[in-house]
Amino acid sequence: MSKLSLLAVFVIVLASCNPSKKPGRSVKFQQYFVEGDQLYTVHCSNCHQKSGKGLGLLYPPLDESDYMEENLSEVICLIKNGKSGELMVNGQQYNQPMPGIPTLTDLEIAEIATFIYNSWSHDEGIIEVQQVTKMLQKCKEGT
Amino acid sequence: MRKIIVFVAVVGLISSCTKTEKPLPIFGQREVVNGDTVYHKIANFQFVDQDSAIITNDTFKDQIYVSDFFFTSCRTICPIMKTQMLRVYEATADIPDVKLLSHSIDPEYDTVALLHDFANRLGVSSDRWHFVTGVKDSIYKIAQTSYFATAMEDKSEPDGFIHSGAFLLVDKEQRLRGKYDGTKEEDVNRLLVDIKRLRKEYE
Repeated sequence: MSKLSLLAVFVIVLASCNPSKKPGRSVKFQQYFVEGDQLYTVHCSNCHQKSGKGLGLLYPPLDESDYMEENLSEVICLIKNGKSGELMVNGQQYNQPMPGIPTLTDLEIAEIATFIYNSWSHDEGIIEVQQVTKMLQKCKEGT
Repeated sequence: MRKIIVFVAVVGLISSCTKTEKPLPIFGQREVVNGDTVYHKIANFQFVDQDSAIITNDTFKDQIYVSDFFFTSCRTICPIMKTQMLRVYEATADIPDVKLLSHSIDPEYDTVALLHDFANRLGVSSDRWHFVTGVKDSIYKIAQTSYFATAMEDKSEPDGFIHSGAFLLVDKEQRLRGKYDGTKEEDVNRLLVDIKRLRKEYE
Protein backbone atom coordinates (compact mmCIF):
# COMPACT_ATOMS: atom_id res chain seq x y z
CA MET A 1 0.00 0.00 0.00
CA SER A 2 2.75 2.43 0.96
CA LYS A 3 4.47 1.63 -2.31
CA LEU A 4 1.33 2.44 -4.20
CA SER A 5 0.85 5.79 -2.47
CA LEU A 6 4.51 6.59 -3.08
CA LEU A 7 3.95 5.88 -6.75
CA ALA A 8 0.86 8.10 -6.76
CA VAL A 9 2.83 10.96 -5.23
CA PHE A 10 5.59 10.43 -7.78
CA VAL A 11 3.13 10.55 -10.67
CA ILE A 12 1.49 13.71 -9.34
CA VAL A 13 4.88 15.39 -8.88
CA LEU A 14 5.90 14.43 -12.41
CA ALA A 15 2.65 15.66 -13.88
CA SER A 16 2.87 18.99 -12.08
CA CYS A 17 6.40 19.57 -13.38
CA ASN A 18 5.17 20.23 -16.85
CA PRO A 19 2.01 22.31 -16.81
CA SER A 20 2.09 22.89 -20.58
CA LYS A 21 1.38 19.24 -21.32
CA LYS A 22 -2.06 18.18 -22.37
CA PRO A 23 -3.73 15.30 -20.56
CA GLY A 24 -4.83 12.19 -22.38
CA ARG A 25 -2.57 12.58 -25.40
CA SER A 26 0.16 10.42 -26.87
CA VAL A 27 3.80 10.83 -25.93
CA LYS A 28 4.52 12.03 -29.46
CA PHE A 29 1.86 14.70 -29.18
CA GLN A 30 3.32 15.88 -25.87
CA GLN A 31 6.80 16.13 -27.40
CA TYR A 32 5.49 18.15 -30.34
CA PHE A 33 3.43 20.35 -28.05
CA VAL A 34 6.20 21.11 -25.54
CA GLU A 35 8.79 21.80 -28.26
CA GLY A 36 6.22 23.89 -30.13
CA ASP A 37 5.53 25.93 -27.00
CA GLN A 38 9.22 26.83 -26.73
CA LEU A 39 9.57 27.65 -30.42
CA TYR A 40 6.42 29.76 -30.25
CA THR A 41 7.89 31.75 -27.36
CA VAL A 42 11.08 32.44 -29.33
CA HIS A 43 9.69 33.10 -32.80
CA CYS A 44 6.04 34.12 -32.52
CA SER A 45 5.11 35.51 -29.11
CA ASN A 46 6.79 38.90 -29.58
CA CYS A 47 3.99 39.91 -31.90
CA HIS A 48 1.17 37.43 -31.30
CA GLN A 49 1.76 37.50 -27.52
CA LYS A 50 2.15 34.57 -25.17
CA SER A 51 -1.63 34.75 -24.65
CA GLY A 52 -2.20 34.40 -28.42
CA LYS A 53 -4.30 37.56 -28.35
CA GLY A 54 -2.20 39.56 -30.84
CA LEU A 55 -1.91 43.35 -30.54
CA GLY A 56 -4.63 45.76 -31.61
CA LEU A 57 -5.20 45.60 -35.36
CA LEU A 58 -1.46 45.24 -35.96
CA TYR A 59 -0.88 41.58 -35.18
CA PRO A 60 -3.86 39.24 -35.54
CA PRO A 61 -4.94 36.96 -32.71
CA LEU A 62 -4.29 33.21 -32.78
CA ASP A 63 -6.32 32.27 -29.72
CA GLU A 64 -9.57 32.56 -31.64
CA SER A 65 -9.09 32.80 -35.37
CA ASP A 66 -11.39 31.79 -38.20
CA TYR A 67 -8.45 32.24 -40.56
CA MET A 68 -6.44 29.57 -38.74
CA GLU A 69 -9.40 27.19 -38.61
CA GLU A 70 -9.96 27.44 -42.36
CA ASN A 71 -6.42 27.70 -43.71
CA LEU A 72 -4.10 25.12 -42.13
CA SER A 73 -1.87 24.68 -45.17
CA GLU A 74 -1.57 28.44 -45.68
CA VAL A 75 -0.60 28.88 -42.03
CA ILE A 76 2.11 26.24 -42.47
CA CYS A 77 3.40 28.08 -45.55
CA LEU A 78 3.42 31.53 -43.96
CA ILE A 79 5.34 30.35 -40.88
CA LYS A 80 8.11 29.32 -43.27
CA ASN A 81 7.83 31.94 -46.02
CA GLY A 82 6.15 34.93 -44.40
CA LYS A 83 3.15 36.83 -45.67
CA SER A 84 2.36 40.38 -46.69
CA GLY A 85 -0.71 42.23 -47.85
CA GLU A 86 -4.18 42.33 -46.40
CA LEU A 87 -5.43 39.50 -44.26
CA MET A 88 -8.95 39.09 -42.84
CA VAL A 89 -9.19 37.49 -39.41
CA ASN A 90 -12.52 37.33 -37.56
CA GLY A 91 -13.93 40.01 -39.85
CA GLN A 92 -11.08 42.46 -39.14
CA GLN A 93 -8.55 43.50 -41.73
CA TYR A 94 -4.85 43.25 -40.84
CA ASN A 95 -2.00 44.51 -43.00
CA GLN A 96 1.31 44.17 -41.20
CA PRO A 97 3.88 42.08 -43.11
CA MET A 98 4.94 38.93 -41.29
CA PRO A 99 8.52 37.85 -41.95
CA GLY A 100 9.00 34.16 -42.67
CA ILE A 101 11.50 31.98 -40.87
CA PRO A 102 13.09 29.92 -43.65
CA THR A 103 15.59 28.36 -41.23
CA LEU A 104 12.86 26.37 -39.47
CA THR A 105 12.86 22.65 -40.24
CA ASP A 106 9.68 20.83 -41.25
CA LEU A 107 9.64 19.18 -37.84
CA GLU A 108 9.91 22.51 -36.05
CA ILE A 109 7.03 23.90 -38.11
CA ALA A 110 4.96 20.80 -37.25
CA GLU A 111 5.74 21.39 -33.57
CA ILE A 112 4.74 25.07 -33.73
CA ALA A 113 1.57 24.15 -35.63
CA THR A 114 0.72 21.44 -33.10
CA PHE A 115 1.19 23.96 -30.31
CA ILE A 116 -0.92 26.77 -31.79
CA TYR A 117 -3.61 24.39 -33.09
CA ASN A 118 -4.05 22.86 -29.62
CA SER A 119 -3.82 25.97 -27.47
CA TRP A 120 -6.45 28.51 -26.39
CA SER A 121 -9.68 27.70 -28.24
CA HIS A 122 -8.12 25.15 -30.61
CA ASP A 123 -8.17 21.36 -30.32
CA GLU A 124 -7.05 19.96 -33.66
CA GLY A 125 -4.75 17.22 -32.42
CA ILE A 126 -1.23 16.55 -33.66
CA ILE A 127 -0.03 17.99 -36.96
CA GLU A 128 2.55 15.51 -38.19
CA VAL A 129 5.82 16.37 -39.89
CA GLN A 130 4.80 14.33 -42.97
CA GLN A 131 1.68 16.50 -43.39
CA VAL A 132 3.80 19.63 -43.06
CA THR A 133 6.34 18.47 -45.65
CA LYS A 134 3.53 17.82 -48.15
CA MET A 135 1.94 21.21 -47.50
CA LEU A 136 5.26 23.03 -47.83
CA GLN A 137 5.83 21.47 -51.24
CA LYS A 138 2.58 23.01 -52.42
CA CYS A 139 3.16 26.54 -51.08
CA LYS A 140 2.33 29.17 -53.64
CA GLU A 141 4.95 31.71 -54.57
CA GLY A 142 4.97 34.52 -52.05
CA THR A 143 2.83 32.86 -49.41
CA MET B 1 20.56 48.63 28.99
CA ARG B 2 17.05 47.45 28.20
CA LYS B 3 15.76 51.01 28.25
CA ILE B 4 18.35 52.03 25.72
CA ILE B 5 17.30 49.27 23.35
CA VAL B 6 13.65 50.30 23.60
CA PHE B 7 14.64 53.93 23.03
CA VAL B 8 16.67 53.05 19.94
CA ALA B 9 13.80 50.95 18.61
CA VAL B 10 11.29 53.79 19.12
CA VAL B 11 13.59 56.33 17.45
CA GLY B 12 14.11 53.93 14.59
CA LEU B 13 10.38 53.48 14.16
CA ILE B 14 9.65 57.20 14.19
CA SER B 15 12.40 58.04 11.73
CA SER B 16 11.23 55.33 9.34
CA CYS B 17 7.71 56.75 9.41
CA THR B 18 8.68 60.31 8.69
CA LYS B 19 11.34 59.50 6.14
CA THR B 20 10.56 61.37 2.93
CA GLU B 21 10.97 59.60 -0.38
CA LYS B 22 14.15 60.40 -2.22
CA PRO B 23 13.51 62.40 -5.41
CA LEU B 24 14.19 60.72 -8.75
CA PRO B 25 17.75 61.11 -10.02
CA ILE B 26 18.63 63.67 -12.68
CA PHE B 27 20.65 62.02 -15.44
CA GLY B 28 23.67 63.40 -17.23
CA GLN B 29 26.42 65.97 -16.74
CA ARG B 30 25.81 69.01 -14.62
CA GLU B 31 27.77 72.18 -14.16
CA VAL B 32 27.56 75.17 -11.89
CA VAL B 33 27.15 78.49 -13.66
CA ASN B 34 27.13 81.63 -11.50
CA GLY B 35 26.18 79.56 -8.48
CA ASP B 36 23.29 77.77 -10.22
CA THR B 37 23.40 74.11 -11.16
CA VAL B 38 22.74 73.57 -14.86
CA TYR B 39 21.50 70.07 -15.68
CA HIS B 40 21.62 67.99 -18.83
CA LYS B 41 18.51 68.67 -20.92
CA ILE B 42 16.92 67.18 -24.03
CA ALA B 43 18.40 69.10 -26.98
CA ASN B 44 16.18 71.05 -29.38
CA PHE B 45 14.37 68.85 -31.86
CA GLN B 46 11.80 69.08 -34.61
CA PHE B 47 10.02 66.00 -35.94
CA VAL B 48 6.70 65.23 -37.63
CA ASP B 49 4.04 63.02 -36.07
CA GLN B 50 1.38 60.65 -37.43
CA ASP B 51 -0.99 63.59 -38.08
CA SER B 52 1.71 65.59 -39.92
CA ALA B 53 1.92 67.93 -36.91
CA ILE B 54 5.30 69.47 -36.14
CA ILE B 55 6.55 68.13 -32.83
CA THR B 56 9.19 70.11 -30.93
CA ASN B 57 10.29 70.58 -27.33
CA ASP B 58 7.42 73.08 -27.02
CA THR B 59 4.89 70.29 -27.66
CA PHE B 60 5.90 68.97 -24.22
CA LYS B 61 5.87 72.32 -22.42
CA ASP B 62 4.60 71.78 -18.84
CA GLN B 63 4.34 68.07 -19.62
CA ILE B 64 6.02 64.95 -18.36
CA TYR B 65 6.71 62.53 -21.18
CA VAL B 66 7.93 59.02 -21.84
CA SER B 67 10.08 58.49 -24.92
CA ASP B 68 11.28 55.45 -26.84
CA PHE B 69 12.89 54.40 -30.16
CA PHE B 70 11.40 51.75 -32.44
CA PHE B 71 10.40 51.02 -36.04
CA THR B 72 7.19 49.58 -37.41
CA SER B 73 8.68 46.67 -39.34
CA CYS B 74 10.70 45.45 -36.36
CA ARG B 75 9.88 41.95 -35.24
CA THR B 76 12.27 41.55 -32.34
CA ILE B 77 11.77 43.72 -29.28
CA CYS B 78 9.51 46.48 -30.67
CA PRO B 79 6.22 44.57 -30.48
CA ILE B 80 6.96 43.87 -26.81
CA MET B 81 7.87 47.53 -26.27
CA LYS B 82 4.64 48.61 -27.92
CA THR B 83 2.64 46.20 -25.76
CA GLN B 84 4.29 47.73 -22.69
CA MET B 85 3.96 51.33 -23.92
CA LEU B 86 0.28 50.63 -24.49
CA ARG B 87 0.09 49.77 -20.78
CA VAL B 88 1.66 53.14 -19.96
CA TYR B 89 -0.83 54.82 -22.32
CA GLU B 90 -3.76 53.13 -20.63
CA ALA B 91 -2.44 53.69 -17.10
CA THR B 92 -2.01 57.42 -17.72
CA ALA B 93 -5.33 57.93 -19.51
CA ASP B 94 -6.67 60.20 -16.78
CA ILE B 95 -3.47 62.16 -16.19
CA PRO B 96 -3.57 65.30 -18.36
CA ASP B 97 0.12 66.24 -18.11
CA VAL B 98 1.67 62.92 -19.21
CA LYS B 99 2.41 62.27 -22.89
CA LEU B 100 4.22 59.62 -24.94
CA LEU B 101 6.76 60.12 -27.74
CA SER B 102 7.87 57.21 -29.95
CA HIS B 103 10.62 57.93 -32.48
CA SER B 104 11.04 55.82 -35.59
CA ILE B 105 14.67 54.87 -36.18
CA ASP B 106 13.75 53.82 -39.75
CA PRO B 107 12.23 57.17 -40.77
CA GLU B 108 12.63 56.63 -44.50
CA TYR B 109 10.37 53.58 -44.41
CA ASP B 110 8.17 54.82 -41.56
CA THR B 111 6.43 57.68 -43.35
CA VAL B 112 3.74 59.85 -41.78
CA ALA B 113 1.07 57.79 -43.54
CA LEU B 114 2.54 54.54 -42.25
CA LEU B 115 2.84 55.85 -38.69
CA HIS B 116 -0.74 57.12 -38.93
CA ASP B 117 -1.93 53.66 -39.87
CA PHE B 118 0.23 52.06 -37.18
CA ALA B 119 -1.17 54.31 -34.43
CA ASN B 120 -4.74 53.75 -35.63
CA ARG B 121 -4.25 50.02 -35.60
CA LEU B 122 -2.87 50.22 -32.10
CA GLY B 123 -6.01 52.19 -31.26
CA VAL B 124 -4.28 55.21 -29.74
CA SER B 125 -4.84 58.95 -30.07
CA SER B 126 -2.27 61.49 -31.29
CA ASP B 127 -3.33 63.85 -28.47
CA ARG B 128 -1.38 61.74 -26.02
CA TRP B 129 0.93 59.51 -28.05
CA HIS B 130 3.05 61.00 -30.82
CA PHE B 131 4.77 58.67 -33.30
CA VAL B 132 7.41 60.76 -35.02
CA THR B 133 9.58 60.52 -38.10
CA GLY B 134 12.20 62.96 -39.36
CA VAL B 135 15.80 63.29 -40.48
CA LYS B 136 17.47 59.99 -39.66
CA ASP B 137 20.72 61.43 -38.34
CA SER B 138 18.83 63.86 -36.10
CA ILE B 139 16.89 60.98 -34.57
CA TYR B 140 20.03 58.89 -34.00
CA LYS B 141 21.84 61.87 -32.54
CA ILE B 142 19.10 62.84 -30.11
CA ALA B 143 18.75 59.20 -29.06
CA GLN B 144 22.38 58.96 -28.13
CA THR B 145 23.26 62.42 -26.84
CA SER B 146 19.98 63.50 -25.20
CA TYR B 147 18.26 60.28 -24.15
CA PHE B 148 21.39 58.12 -23.72
CA ALA B 149 19.67 55.39 -25.75
CA THR B 150 21.27 53.30 -28.48
CA ALA B 151 19.88 53.62 -32.01
CA MET B 152 21.79 53.03 -35.23
CA GLU B 153 21.80 51.07 -38.44
CA ASP B 154 23.57 47.73 -38.44
CA LYS B 155 23.23 45.54 -41.50
CA SER B 156 24.40 42.48 -39.59
CA GLU B 157 21.30 42.56 -37.37
CA PRO B 158 18.24 40.55 -38.54
CA ASP B 159 16.14 43.73 -38.93
CA GLY B 160 19.01 46.03 -39.97
CA PHE B 161 19.15 48.15 -36.81
CA ILE B 162 20.43 47.97 -33.29
CA HIS B 163 18.54 49.87 -30.66
CA SER B 164 17.83 49.65 -26.98
CA GLY B 165 14.38 48.86 -25.68
CA ALA B 166 14.63 51.68 -23.18
CA PHE B 167 11.76 53.88 -22.05
CA LEU B 168 12.99 57.31 -20.95
CA LEU B 169 11.16 59.50 -18.44
CA VAL B 170 11.51 63.24 -19.03
CA ASP B 171 10.33 65.92 -16.59
CA LYS B 172 8.74 69.31 -17.26
CA GLU B 173 12.17 70.97 -17.42
CA GLN B 174 13.13 68.48 -20.17
CA ARG B 175 15.54 66.70 -17.86
CA LEU B 176 15.99 62.93 -18.05
CA ARG B 177 14.72 61.42 -14.79
CA GLY B 178 14.46 57.68 -15.39
CA LYS B 179 15.48 54.86 -17.71
CA TYR B 180 13.54 51.57 -17.87
CA ASP B 181 13.66 48.38 -19.89
CA GLY B 182 10.57 48.63 -22.08
CA THR B 183 10.62 44.89 -22.75
CA LYS B 184 10.17 43.96 -19.08
CA GLU B 185 6.81 44.23 -17.39
CA GLU B 186 8.31 44.73 -13.90
CA ASP B 187 10.52 47.57 -15.09
CA VAL B 188 7.53 49.26 -16.70
CA ASN B 189 5.68 48.87 -13.37
CA ARG B 190 8.54 50.84 -11.82
CA LEU B 191 8.09 53.51 -14.51
CA LEU B 192 4.39 53.82 -13.64
CA VAL B 193 5.30 54.37 -9.98
CA ASP B 194 8.00 56.89 -10.92
CA ILE B 195 5.57 58.91 -13.06
CA LYS B 196 3.45 59.39 -9.93
CA ARG B 197 6.52 60.32 -7.88
CA LEU B 198 7.62 62.82 -10.51
CA ARG B 199 4.19 64.45 -10.66
CA LYS B 200 4.35 64.98 -6.87
CA GLU B 201 7.35 67.26 -7.38
CA TYR B 202 5.05 69.68 -9.18
CA GLU B 203 2.21 69.64 -6.66
